[in-house]
Amino acid sequence: MSEPEQTIYVIDDDEAMRDSMTWLLEGEGYRVACFDSGEHFLATRHDRMRGCLVLDVRMPEMSGLELHEKLDALGSPLPIIFVTGHGDVPMAVGALQRGACDFIEKPFHNEDLLVRIRRALELDAQLAERRQRDSAISHRLDLLTQRENEVMQLVVAGKLNKQIADELNISMKTVEAHRARVMEKMGVRTLAELVKAVMTLH
Amino acid sequence: MVANAEPAKNQTMFIRPPPRQPKHTRLWLAPYIAIGIFALAMLVVTALLQWREQDTARSALEGDMHWAERTIESRLQSHQDFLSELARDQEFRQLTYESFQVRAGRYVLDHPEISAIVWVDIDGKVEWVSPHEATATFVGEQLTGTRLESLQEALRIRRPLFSPGYPNAGQQLGNDLIFPVQQSRSDIGAFIALQSLETMLRVTLPGSFTARYSLSVVDAQNREVLRNSSIQPTDRRISGTISLDLPNNRLGLNIVAYRAGGAWLPYLPAILIVVLTLIASATLVQLRRHAQHRADTEEQLRTAYAFRQAMSQSMITGLRAIDLEGRITFVNAAFCRMTGFDESELEGIKPPYPYWPPEEFDKLQHNIDTALAGKAPASGFEMRIMRKNGERFDVRLYFSPLIDTDGQQIGWMASMNDITEPKRARVELERAHERFVTVIDGLDTAVHVAAVDSGEILFANRAFQHIFGFDTVGRDSALVTAACRPPPEALFHDPASLGPDELPCEIFDGEIQHALSGHWYHVHERAIRWVDGRTVRVQIAADITDKKHIDDVNQQQQKRLEQTSRLITMGEMASSLAHELNQPLSAIANYCAGCIKRMQSGNYQFDDLLAAMQKASEQAERAGKIIRRMRDMVKKSDPNRQPVPLAELVDETRAFADIEAQRTGTLIEVAIPENLPNIVVDRIMIEQVLLNLIKNGIEAMHNNAFDRRKLFISARRIDERLVEVAIADQGHGLADEDIEKIFAPFYTTKPEGMGIGLAICRSIIEFHQGRLWVEPRREGGTVFRFTVPIEEEDE
Repeated sequence: MSEPEQTIYVIDDDEAMRDSMTWLLEGEGYRVACFDSGEHFLATRHDRMRGCLVLDVRMPEMSGLELHEKLDALGSPLPIIFVTGHGDVPMAVGALQRGACDFIEKPFHNEDLLVRIRRALELDAQLAERRQRDSAISHRLDLLTQRENEVMQLVVAGKLNKQIADELNISMKTVEAHRARVMEKMGVRTLAELVKAVMTLH
Repeated sequence: MVANAEPAKNQTMFIRPPPRQPKHTRLWLAPYIAIGIFALAMLVVTALLQWREQDTARSALEGDMHWAERTIESRLQSHQDFLSELARDQEFRQLTYESFQVRAGRYVLDHPEISAIVWVDIDGKVEWVSPHEATATFVGEQLTGTRLESLQEALRIRRPLFSPGYPNAGQQLGNDLIFPVQQSRSDIGAFIALQSLETMLRVTLPGSFTARYSLSVVDAQNREVLRNSSIQPTDRRISGTISLDLPNNRLGLNIVAYRAGGAWLPYLPAILIVVLTLIASATLVQLRRHAQHRADTEEQLRTAYAFRQAMSQSMITGLRAIDLEGRITFVNAAFCRMTGFDESELEGIKPPYPYWPPEEFDKLQHNIDTALAGKAPASGFEMRIMRKNGERFDVRLYFSPLIDTDGQQIGWMASMNDITEPKRARVELERAHERFVTVIDGLDTAVHVAAVDSGEILFANRAFQHIFGFDTVGRDSALVTAACRPPPEALFHDPASLGPDELPCEIFDGEIQHALSGHWYHVHERAIRWVDGRTVRVQIAADITDKKHIDDVNQQQQKRLEQTSRLITMGEMASSLAHELNQPLSAIANYCAGCIKRMQSGNYQFDDLLAAMQKASEQAERAGKIIRRMRDMVKKSDPNRQPVPLAELVDETRAFADIEAQRTGTLIEVAIPENLPNIVVDRIMIEQVLLNLIKNGIEAMHNNAFDRRKLFISARRIDERLVEVAIADQGHGLADEDIEKIFAPFYTTKPEGMGIGLAICRSIIEFHQGRLWVEPRREGGTVFRFTVPIEEEDE
């Protein structure tokens, strides 16, 4: 299953804005998808979407802020760049405080927009990578037996084999055997790697 | 009912009065009648007895009288006989002087009433006297007067004669018995016996006779010639008259019995009876009067008793009498009612009394001991006692000594008042008063009451005292509240002229500013009748400074909202214009940037670029349309220019600006020449400009002292086309760099300003072909000046 390509989702009620934005961003070599309202975007949205949102704050029906809240509720990881008109600055600040990614005020210089888009896409990439890693680790964790999991928790907590054996009331040999299997199953070679993997997940 | 004898003795003071006696109507007359009858009978008996006694006395008198008559007559007869013997002897000359002397002497000796016997010749010359030692006469004496006449008369009639009385030698009444002697028919003389009637009566009548009767001799003419001298009173009813038949003379002897036992003796029984009757009557009257008095007293006593009884029974005050040892001798109905015990359960009981609650024993014992010692306080004892059913209640007991009729103290009278209710009422009243005071004092509204006539403050609550001072009660309201008082001409009514039937009456309702503190008060004044009947002014002053401020601000905001709605519309228009223009401008920028990028990279297709440029062109056109639309809108609201007096505009503007001016204490001075021609403007727009500039001026002086908050509005005509209006403030002035910038849109020197006001003002003025500029004021502050066109004068 191949990773989906990063796309810039432009959501604006003004057609000229959507079109000109598409023209500008495609000229930069980005993939662009346009939606004329928040509702339409929500209708086609799915969890595997990658990229970022360029979201107009002032829109009839559902405003940019409302869409932001809804996406938050749905757990969407996509970074959002708000585009505001005059006087919407305090609104955008509020949005930023709630965890939005960035905002830009109209009329904007195209370079400013592009910088922000690049930053957003980078963030998206990082997030995607982390998600992927996390899901791999958690997948491996699922492979561990109950006892192996217990042993691993104690190992990560920094306990010595002997202590683990005492605690779980098993022999040192058994601990060592479990430990070896944990390392194998988690696909790590050193204790440090194991700790890192487990810490990342949590 | 009574335990022993002693209380009974003490109870005498409460015995009932004698029962009412039946009215004895005529019975009291009986003793008077009896006394009357008795007295009458006694008087009759006495009278009868007296009459009988008189009768007896009269009979005795008659007997005595006859006896006396005979005795006297026989004596006189014997005298006559003796004289006739002598006469016969003389006649025959047989009588000698010597024999005469012997015989006559002897006779005289035997009969003391005869003082002498004489022989006289016919001429009345005494010839013989026997006895010769007699002093009554002497030989040779010539008879004279009555004696001679009697002799001659006897000689003439030749019969013995008894002469009328004459005073004899012994100065006694003498009578002569004359016996004439004839010899052969010729008179030779006469024998005369000189006798005294008085002596004769004395000798003939025994002493017992003269002791019983008063005798008097009367002559023929009924003249009294002799009377035996006695001063004893006589009883004329017992009297009689003896006619003494004397020769040739008539004498009567009146005999009157002496009154037996004195003059008043016969009346003594009657007098005694009358006196006794009178005494008896008087005693009876006295007795009756006494009885009447007694009955009256009893009646009064009964009335008083009934009155007292009714009083003591109807009284709600309990009465209890105790003797000196504390034993109860009397309780009235109220006392029984209060305590719930019967009279019989209380009387005769010594302390502790049954109505003493056990927990109060010591205190009550102490009280009764104090009272018995005579040291009860005049204000009485306040104590808690118990009803028969155990219920406790509060009473006040007053003691006073109980004195009997002898002035001896026999106990103590105690009156008992149930003070539970008064006490509760008093506590309630106190609480009510406390509540009243708390409420009144809790108000932040100043309340005070002042007498209309004297102005004296009769009542003031705490809020009032906080404002006007804490010693205001009793002082003159006019002085105390001088700083915050409705002027007399503002009152609806003169409170002093209001009649009692016009009260209560509202006399003022309005807002007044305290001259010293600057606070505003809503003052409501009413004239009412005070508790003592006086007419007073009740003033309620609520501090409305804050409310007024809020109201002012609200009102001002409201006005500002209305007044600046047009401004806001313009501001919004600008904002909306900006937003509208944003879209096409952003799109154009995007298209252009996209084209530039593609052309720079060389990786483009001509058609794409063309399409993008066409779209950009379209967006530019769109922007143009927006601008056009805006202009159309401005055109549509083309100002309605009309000639209007500037002063009127300024006045109307001030109506709005005054709110703000009063709030900040700013004085606005307007100096507009009267002959200024009308200006031709859109009145609302110019008012807007004026309002804006005035407000700016007021705000610029925000930090000034109160006396340096003045705004000057002036106007002058500068040429035949324009009028210049100047708004000058005393504010902080403007920095040089601000002078030009302040008219730029979105530039502001005020913290909450939008920066639109002056820009729009300049637009409006320029729209009227005028000019708006600013310059520093010489005296400090800023002057905004603008010009507007004036009405063209008709040629």
